[in-house]
Amino acid sequence: MHAELALLNNCLVVGAVLFGLGLVGFLSRRNMLIMFLSAEMMLQGASLSFAAWGRFHNDFGGQTLVLFIIAVAAAEAAIALALVLTLFALRGRLDIAAWHDLREAHLPPPLIDEEGEQVEAAPPRPRPRLSPAGLPPPLPPDMEHRLRL
Amino acid sequence: MMTEARYLPLLALLLGAVALWLLLPGKKAWPRRLGGLLGVTALGLVFSLLPRAGQWAADSLFLLLAAVAIFSAAAAISFRNPVYCALWFGQTLLAVAGLLWFLGAQFLAFATVVVYVGAILVLFLFVLMLAQPEGRAACDRISFESQISSVAAIVIVGWLAFAVGGALSSGGGAGEGAPLDAEALADGVLTSEHVWRLGTELFTQHFLAIQLVGVLLLVALVGAAVIVSRQRMVKKSGER
Repeated sequence: MHAELALLNNCLVVGAVLFGLGLVGFLSRRNMLIMFLSAEMMLQGASLSFAAWGRFHNDFGGQTLVLFIIAVAAAEAAIALALVLTLFALRGRLDIAAWHDLREAHLPPPLIDEEGEQVEAAPPRPRPRLSPAGLPPPLPPDMEHRLRL
Repeated sequence: MMTEARYLPLLALLLGAVALWLLLPGKKAWPRRLGGLLGVTALGLVFSLLPRAGQWAADSLFLLLAAVAIFSAAAAISFRNPVYCALWFGQTLLAVAGLLWFLGAQFLAFATVVVYVGAILVLFLFVLMLAQPEGRAACDRISFESQISSVAAIVIVGWLAFAVGGALSSGGGAGEGAPLDAEALADGVLTSEHVWRLGTELFTQHFLAIQLVGVLLLVALVGAAVIVSRQRMVKKSGER
């Protein structure tokens, strides 16, 4: 096989594998932040394929497309992280399963393992003891889920 | 001999599917190390099947970068601690930047490192530190439908790889882009005036698209601010 053809073939295979790994991450991970990260991984696979095709056809069209992909990924990151922060503040969890009540009513209950709901509470870390000074500030009631931070 | 060569990719895909299923978080009968072992085996099998370009130095550099990219991508979707996921994803990005450099797209390699690793990944870590509750949440220990999603991904990857490999090896997918010689490449994509050529291409042929991307970035910036601030306004009005 010709050298350029072999390079194109290999790059397309690597791009396809990156896309597939991102797909698995997006479909089966439940943390919203990791779902976002997997979407970025799929974009990386597509970028690699575009750059490989651009090299094979010996023009800059592929690289131009990758540049646009990077710009769109930056915009997507801003929007997606703002949405994730909003969703987290509304339910207090990063779990996408917290939003399963948005499904249609006639669908069967979501497939979640029962033991998945029991969160393993880590033992509380010993905190440094300081001499008390002043008063603790009153927390607004909607911030209670951050008390454990 | 030919039948073995035909079944080896299928074997690699099956191994990859089992490895992904074992690696994804969740309660499994078999340990995750077995998944890692199977994944590395599948990766080695795939790499042994890829065609070689001829020069062993360039080939081994490419295979090394590709192995780092794929291994750390698999680690990024399979670790339970999201911070580790982000760090492994950063290594994937660096390896992909190396692959882009290998392809001659130097500016894109730098842009990937600066924009992805420097901006998006740091923003990601920032949000993670802001939002991650204490301990390991259930959503990081159990994953949805890991069997079905690994099988779906393997089907898509296998279809893409087989279609591409078949079309390229029969010469049907080449089209007008015939295999190139070194002089044509040095005059085209691999020119020494890389950034100048890329910028000329961008600002002459894709001028409208560049303007649109600028508008898109501005809208995304305003949109992100509106999303976060509107939520605060809704909360305040709910308190009253």
